Amino acid sequence: MQRARTEQDLHPIHVVIVEDDPCFSDALSKVVREAPDMRLAGMASTRADGLAMLQGPPADVLLVDLGLPDGSGIDIIRAAAQQWPSCSIMVSTNFGDEMHVMQSIEAGAAGYLLKDSSPAKTVDEIRSLASGGSPISPLIARQVLERFRQGVSGSSTATSAQAAPAGSESTPLSAREKEVLDLITKGFTAHEIAKLMQLSHFTVRTFVRRIYTKLKVTSKAEAIYEARTQGILAD
Amino acid sequence: MALLAAVGALFGGAGGERQPEALLHMTQADWQVEDASGFSAPPLTQDSTALPDTWEHVELPLALPIALLRQAKDGAAAGATRVTWIKLSARDLPPTSGPLALYGVRVKTDGTIAVYANGHLVHRAQQQGPLWNSTRTPLWVVLENNADGTPLNEILLRLEHTQSAQVALSSLWLGPPEALRGSYRLREWLQQELPAMLSAAFMAVGVFALFVWFKRQHEMGYLLFFNLAATSFLRGLHFYVGLPVANDWFAWLTVNALFWLVMVVHFFLRQLHGRPLKWLTYGVVGITTTIAVLTMPNLAILRNTPQVTPLIYSVAALMGAAVCLVGGVSAWRRSNEGRLVAAGIGVCTLLGVTDWLLQNNFISPEAWYLGAYTNAVAFSVFGALMYRRYVDAIAEVEDLNASLAQRLQTREAELEDSHRRLREVERRQTISDERQRLMQDMHDGLGSSLISAIRSVEVGGMSDTKVSQILKSCLDDLKLTLDSLEPVEADLLLLLATLRYRLEPRLEGTGVSLQWEVQELPDLPWLDPSSALHILRIVQESIANILRHTRATEIRVGTALSASGVQVTIEDNGHGFDVDKALGNASASGRGLQNQRRRAQAIKGTVTWESRATGTRFVLWLPLERAVQPA
Repeated sequence: MQRARTEQDLHPIHVVIVEDDPCFSDALSKVVREAPDMRLAGMASTRADGLAMLQGPPADVLLVDLGLPDGSGIDIIRAAAQQWPSCSIMVSTNFGDEMHVMQSIEAGAAGYLLKDSSPAKTVDEIRSLASGGSPISPLIARQVLERFRQGVSGSSTATSAQAAPAGSESTPLSAREKEVLDLITKGFTAHEIAKLMQLSHFTVRTFVRRIYTKLKVTSKAEAIYEARTQGILAD
Repeated sequence: MALLAAVGALFGGAGGERQPEALLHMTQADWQVEDASGFSAPPLTQDSTALPDTWEHVELPLALPIALLRQAKDGAAAGATRVTWIKLSARDLPPTSGPLALYGVRVKTDGTIAVYANGHLVHRAQQQGPLWNSTRTPLWVVLENNADGTPLNEILLRLEHTQSAQVALSSLWLGPPEALRGSYRLREWLQQELPAMLSAAFMAVGVFALFVWFKRQHEMGYLLFFNLAATSFLRGLHFYVGLPVANDWFAWLTVNALFWLVMVVHFFLRQLHGRPLKWLTYGVVGITTTIAVLTMPNLAILRNTPQVTPLIYSVAALMGAAVCLVGGVSAWRRSNEGRLVAAGIGVCTLLGVTDWLLQNNFISPEAWYLGAYTNAVAFSVFGALMYRRYVDAIAEVEDLNASLAQRLQTREAELEDSHRRLREVERRQTISDERQRLMQDMHDGLGSSLISAIRSVEVGGMSDTKVSQILKSCLDDLKLTLDSLEPVEADLLLLLATLRYRLEPRLEGTGVSLQWEVQELPDLPWLDPSSALHILRIVQESIANILRHTRATEIRVGTALSASGVQVTIEDNGHGFDVDKALGNASASGRGLQNQRRRAQAIKGTVTWESRATGTRFVLWLPLERAVQPA
């Protein structure tokens, strides 16, 4: 942790915020500005502005609110995943509920931030995300497990035929990844899991990131499969 | 049938066209009658000049009038016979070299027929007993050329008959066989072969109907149809079998079959129009039975001879006419089929009447013999009925199938509709339950917390930190409420995990460490959102109590499987409290404990506290199975 922060001091984390609630936006930008290893690279309060910002130089972390006045933040997540592939996208949410989070992850988000998190927690989450880790809640973990269980049987043809050339990300969960998700659904924290599995707690969070990426690919493969079966996409 | 008639016409037509001039149509003859005592075999040669010279000139066709009643009376004293001689001159025959054929439409007699050419016997019909089939058998004799080359001068017919019976003779044709064969074949075909075929076909269909009846014995129509076919077959039998009707029982059968036929038709009609017609039925059955008894050979009350039968047949004709008329009137407005059958029997009766007239010399012996077609008419009529029944049955089955499909469709629609309504009711119930549950929850927790926060802010008696704390706990309440709506799929550990995930941030900076010592638990099938929220609130309250009141530094959360349920244990190392006292008073903490107990009861679980100075142990016990859903 200490070592990571030193590195970050040399290369500050560039953070971009897309948030329409001025209160939360102010609080968040204050937190970012006050963190020594972060730099606020941009702010937007609408979907249009947010998409426009993606034309600029890529940030390290993009914080997006889903409910924007002129549309959904999902569009920004999707565009950012395309245009800023190296950027870690984080969706800010009131409740971290399954519906919003899963939707965002499938669009390309790597994590989520609860809006009522304390400043310290917020900074930790941004740092963790920037260095390749992702948060997860027990309900999300259960949901992800569920998705992969369906994906193995439901979209295996699509995965093998269409998404396989895209890389190895589309392979189902490894045994360790599954074990991590399982322990999370039982209520263990990342630290406890790290101890149980003899890993560093950071590794547990990178496992989660990898799982999210697989989920995104799986959901994309499913979408392609769907499109093909419906005749929208030519073979 | 029309086709068969056409075939016959073709026979005749083909022959007729080639009629050369060498034909002799003999319409003049000489005639005389001789008394004899009984039938005798005709001599091989017969010189016409040897006969008494009492010739009378007659014109052909010859049909001598018959006194029916007298004939019947005399006929009873049988034994006496007569021989009628008919002499025809062949002198006008154009000279030909080939063989000649003699053809006549009909030679009617009840005895033997012998034909002499130039005095030599060339043809005999019916060598013993009375002749039955003379009415419908055309005369056909092929005359070979005489060995000595003398031309044919004279044809002599010797007709034996009973004393009081009268003969009849059509005009005769003489000529080359090939010129006459067409006409002969046509007569034979239409008067004998075609009726025989039709009769056999009728019988075959009748047997079919009988087998149908075996399977469907409640439908008497099929049995009647078989009886009809059988009696009409019996009636026609003597027309077609080569055997002469020498047997008395066979004669009896033939005559009586006609009555049975009429009787069966009557019963058939009764079935069709559905009227009992009591008196007619009695009459028909009575007459039929009487005739059957009277004509029985061994009783011999009425001798069944060609002299008596014409009278019997006239009774049959009257009975047929009565059945036809009454049946027709009865069926007129009721049954198309009945009308058809009545018309059919009417036609049959008329045909029978012409037959009778022909038999008894009332009409020319050259007329067509139509009696044989009664079978054909009956067959056509009942065939038409069967055809209609069959076609109607098919249509009915099709209609039935169609209506069945439609009914099924309606039923499906109804079922779908009721199912939809049921789902709608269910959905409303679910929404209502859910609303009640959330309202209750908000009322107890979130609502009252918010109100107290608002009041504090308005009155200003509370620090910002305190207000912030209250609001944060409100938000936590809200999150847990939302979490309870997520499907946890009977997984109690997942529910506890969610609770931990939500509460962990609140523990940060309190100096309290949380030990998570959970074990695998079996599924709890009853774990629905409502129960989930109760459990969340119970455990949440327990942890909140520890944080608020006990100054503990460590909380241990564990799960375990017990005999018939699961346990959630929450232990702390705080200073403890007096459980009974706390439960007894109405303070905020007391209400909290009571709430936990109430919620546990709602989900058929229990809560227990064991509190000592070194810590408190709280146990939530939950059943594995829960039969009845809590309201």
